[in-house]
Formats: sequence, structure tokens, C-alpha cells
Amino acid sequence: MSLWKRPTLGLTATLSASVLVLTGCSGTSGGGSDDTVLIGVSLPLTGDFSEPGKGVQRGYESWVEAVNADGGLLGREVELKILDDQSSADRVVQDYEALIAHYEVDLVFGPFSTRLVVPSARVAEEYGMLFVEPAGAADQVFAQGFENLFYAAPAIADDHYDHLAEHILSLPPAERPRTVAVAAMDDPFAQGTAYGLRDRLAEAGLDIVVDEVYPPNTTDFGGIAAKIADSGADVVIGGTQYQDAVNLIVALQQLGYQPQLAAFSTAPTNPEFSEAIGDRTEGILAPTGYTTRAAWPSNVEFVEHYTEMFGGPPAEDEANAYTTGQVVAAAVEAVGCAEQGECQQRLVDWLRENEVDTVVGPLSWDDRGRPQSAHLIQQYVGNEMSIVLPRDAAEAELMHPKPAW
Amino acid sequence: MSGSLLFQSLVLGVLLGGLYALLAAGLTLYFGVMRVVMIAHSAFLILAAYLAWYFNDQTGWDPLLSLFVTVPLFFAAGVGMQRLLIARLRPATLTMMSVLLTFAVALLIEGMIGLIWSGTQRRIQLPYSGSNVEFFGASIAVVKLVAFVLAGASLGLLYLLLTKSRFGRALRATIQHKEAAQLVGIKTDRVAGLGFGLGLATAAVGGTALALDATIYPSLHWHWVGPLMAIIVVGGLGSVPGTAIAAMVLGIGQSLLQVEFGTTWAQTLFYIALFVTLMVRPQGFFGGRLAQRF
Repeated sequence: MSLWKRPTLGLTATLSASVLVLTGCSGTSGGGSDDTVLIGVSLPLTGDFSEPGKGVQRGYESWVEAVNADGGLLGREVELKILDDQSSADRVVQDYEALIAHYEVDLVFGPFSTRLVVPSARVAEEYGMLFVEPAGAADQVFAQGFENLFYAAPAIADDHYDHLAEHILSLPPAERPRTVAVAAMDDPFAQGTAYGLRDRLAEAGLDIVVDEVYPPNTTDFGGIAAKIADSGADVVIGGTQYQDAVNLIVALQQLGYQPQLAAFSTAPTNPEFSEAIGDRTEGILAPTGYTTRAAWPSNVEFVEHYTEMFGGPPAEDEANAYTTGQVVAAAVEAVGCAEQGECQQRLVDWLRENEVDTVVGPLSWDDRGRPQSAHLIQQYVGNEMSIVLPRDAAEAELMHPKPAW
Repeated sequence: MSGSLLFQSLVLGVLLGGLYALLAAGLTLYFGVMRVVMIAHSAFLILAAYLAWYFNDQTGWDPLLSLFVTVPLFFAAGVGMQRLLIARLRPATLTMMSVLLTFAVALLIEGMIGLIWSGTQRRIQLPYSGSNVEFFGASIAVVKLVAFVLAGASLGLLYLLLTKSRFGRALRATIQHKEAAQLVGIKTDRVAGLGFGLGLATAAVGGTALALDATIYPSLHWHWVGPLMAIIVVGGLGSVPGTAIAAMVLGIGQSLLQVEFGTTWAQTLFYIALFVTLMVRPQGFFGGRLAQRF
């Protein structure tokens, strides 16, 4: 690999050097002028996370349109400055340094995915910037001691399955599943979701019979599926992103494995999912932090506005990006400032103390930036996802045991 | 670990090994004939997979039928690529420069797929996608079986072509000693072009077989570059049967290791095998005495 790494390194060095030089000699190139609020973001628009990255971009753009149509922030027009970090943790650090020091943005929004949120949050922390992020849900994000970070979604990864865990543990012992198989991608978010549920079930005395971890580049799931099928576990939990969930589910079906409950994170809420699996999705469970059908006042507006802008309804990534905008806007309007410097600390202090109404419901945070709500649990019923837990928000009855897939 | 799980894993390993053999067959040909390290082979595999998916998506017919289009198309593209690009590289630095050239081709294909079909992950949805047949207590997925049969048939054809036909003899002569082949009147340039075309034609078949049971996306090909390279080095560069044996050994090994040690360690088998081969037997384990030393 060193053959083609070298030129890239050289190029990167040159680029960073020029950024430094430019920063040194110009104060005029960036910065929100008096009548605009400039917001800096770095997003993975190319590379591994390009699909969700573009979703987050659409979410931010729809928020900017909405806020400007409504008179802007503090009466100033809002403008986005988006850089592409190519899904690389090195690039994302350079990007946020450039956004804050060179472009002199007034506010920053977070990037996509835990792996990019942690390094970029560190940069924001060094510059004392408020850092609200739409996509770093893994516990690792909150264990770094960041003081300016807030996660703009209902719950951190470990709590995604809370409603499902409560449901399983509330069953009388005779009906309760006994054995659990877990397969999780070697990724902090994917593992967080699966292990949150696994640990709660294990604590309650259920037997974890398979506990597999696979690297993100795994394409063949025959072996993992064979282990799970052989164990005959009552519950299968997948700590998954997208292609791994689809491949694993098909591999399990190919082996004729029929669990009582099957829960997979992320993938089932994706519109491509039922196209890939066909009509064999029946009964698959997934946690979701967002649904277009939620009746929060700003959500109705958001769905309408977004659909008009992009020709289709928003998904979770788009909604979390929009939420990020709402959270920052609430703080800015309440405190009455949007610029670098001591204003940022006042924004942080305000968010610590207050609750914000968003498209994913009212949000508040603990002292590490963890949101204090839980995810809804959805299930495929008749080849469509319906909310089944918690009971008071349910659109359909939870099917347990699930029908054969 | 139960006996039935072990047997199931063995069956899965054999199926996987067959697929690996088909995917790697073209790579060993390029290197054997022309000393070309073809980084873009996996990109062509994914391109063929996309074409199979697109064909199925548009017509609703079985993706295997797309082979009637993609195999001739890829053969022509291979001949063209060799004559127009590879043949222009300086012989002295051919191996090294072919890495750069085909790396660029791989990026080009990846970008093109993303441009045309976007980065959305795709999967062919067939009535028999999740079906299986019983085999002494183990389940064999129908799609995996079809891919395996496809691999066996095309590798068998390739083997017959290389050993029985006049062209095959010319090709093998070119692999073994280019100058000597020229002395006995073989037009090695032409043979090289056709050999390259043949390699890409196997990519068309391999990509289609892969598409039957995989979720595909534009950057997927990078995951295949390493394992396929390891297979052809272990098998002996330039030897199709050697590649097939190495693919089978590594496929079964990966599947069995997975049971005991998990996926992460099972995947490192390829690189361990690569290191051991380079240290102990650089000409590969199954390539015979004429195989090229890396």
C-alpha cells in the first residue's frame, strides 16, 4: 500500500500547510458577516458513509431553508459551509480546524457516525465550540469527558432496545424466551445497540448461546448463520448497519432457522431493506428514533416541508440532522448570540438546563450530553413497519412469537 | 461444537471455496501471461454483479441470462484494455506500473457505478433467494449451489480450453517462456490480448455468481482485492488448477476456523497463508516448478 499512500500524504501536507498559511494572513475570507450566521459542517459525502452522509446533508439543508423562511436566526440569514471528509477520521479533524480557524464559522454542527464524531468533537472542545451532533450514539462518545457535546436524538445506542427488553422481562417465566444469539459488527454504534439488549437479558438470567463479532468488511455470513442456526436460539439480536443485516438474515433463512424474536438495528428501517429481502421480512424488529408519523408539532411541518423539497419523506438520519438544527436554534434564540468566543459557553450552559421541542420529541440531556429518552420499537407487519412498543405509542400488536420468515 | 455444525461449516466452506476459485481464476491468468497485477479485477467483478442486478431489475428475468451479454462484452473489453493500455507499458517496469494503471481503472469503474446507479446497496431478489436443499442433514442454499455449479462449469471449460485447444497451448507456452514461444512462431502479443480477454470473461461469470447471494455497493471491490491476491500467490501465479486448489483450501479453512475462533480471525487466514507462502515457497504451493516467483 505504501506505493500509493506517499503521494496522498504529500498532498495532504501541502494542503494543510496552505490552510495554515491562509489562516495566518487573512481574517476576511470567512466568518459570518453581521447579517448572516455561518454554520460549519464536515460530512462524509464520499467513501464508506456517503449514503447516510448525504442523508444528514439533506436534513441540514432542509432545516436551513425552514429557518430562513421563518426569518433566520436572531434576524440573520443562516448559511451552511459543508466540507467533505471522505469518511476519514483524519480529514474530519482537518475539516473542523479549517472551519473554525479559517472559515471562522459562527457555529458548528456534528458529522455522521461515531467514528467521525469523536475526533471532531475533540477539535470543537479545544476551540470551546458548542457541538451538537446527529449521529454519534455509541457510549464511547460520552465516555470521553466532552463538556460541549450534545447528541440530538432520543437515546444513546445502549438504550435503543429498552422498550423491547422491558417487554421480554415482563413476560411470565413460561412464555419468556430462554436462549439468545448475538452477532454484532465490530463498530461502536452497532455493538452498543446489540449489547444494551444482550446485557439486560443476560442479567435477567437468559442464556447467551452465541456471541459473535465480525469486522465491518465481512461479506460472507454463512458461517455466523450456521452457528446461530445450530444453537437454535429463541431470540436473535443483530448489531448491524445495512448490508451485514441483509446478508445475515438471508443466510439465516437459507439455513431454515426460525427464531421467536429477531431484532436488527438500522437496516430494517431503511427503504431498500424490504426490496432486498422480498416478502420474507415478516416479524423483524428494529429500534427507531424517528417516524414520519409522530405527532410532535414541528414534525408535521418538517415532513411536509422536506417532502416538498426532496420529493420523498425524511428518514432517521435526515430527522436527526434537522433536530440538531432545532436544538442549536433553540439555544441561540434563548441566549441571544451566535458567534465564536464566550457566547459558545452560554449556549452550552443553556442546553444543560433546558428541554427542547424537536421533530423526535422533547429532548433533554445529562451532564455528558446523553439524551434522556428511549427509541420506539418497530416490527414488520404485512411487509410494512409499524410501531409495536411502547404500548401507548403502538400502531400494531407486537407479534411474539413472530411468524416464520 | 456439535458434529452437525462442523459438517454444515464444511459444506459452506466447499461452496465458498468454489466461488473464490472462480473469482480468482482471471487474476492468475493475467499474471501468468503478462506479469500484470490486475487490481481492477474485483472492480470488474462488481461491475458484472451490477449488470446482472440491473438486467434482473429491468427485465425480471433470471440474472444468469445476463451472461449472454456480459461475457462477450467483458471479453472484448479485456482484449481492448490489453491492446490499448497494458501493451503500452514499458516491459522493464510492467509489473509495477500495471498496479498503478489498473488501480486507476478500478477507481474509474467504482466512480462510474456510483454515478449511474448511486451508492445505494443493491441485492437481487429471486424467488429462490432463501430456499435450501437438504444434504445429509446440512442445508445448502440454492443460490450458493447455483454459484458453485457455475464456478465448476466455467473453471472446467477454462481448463479444457487451456489444455486441449491450440490457443490454450499457445497461451501456456507464453506463460512458461515468452521468448521461446515467439521462436516457435506464436504471436505472443495476440495471445496476450486474448488471454486478458479470457480473464475478464471469467470476471463476468464470477460477478454474476457473486450477485446471486450478495448485497452489492460500488466500493465492495476493495474487500476482495486482498483475499483474491492471497489465493493466487498461494496457488502459484499463472496456474488455474493451483488457484482452484488454493481457493478451496482457504475457503474451507476460513469456514472451519470461523466456528472456533470467530470471523475476525478466520479472515486473517488469507494473510497468514500469504506470508507463509512468500517465506517458505514463493512460487506457490500448487503451481508446479514453472510458476513465477513473486
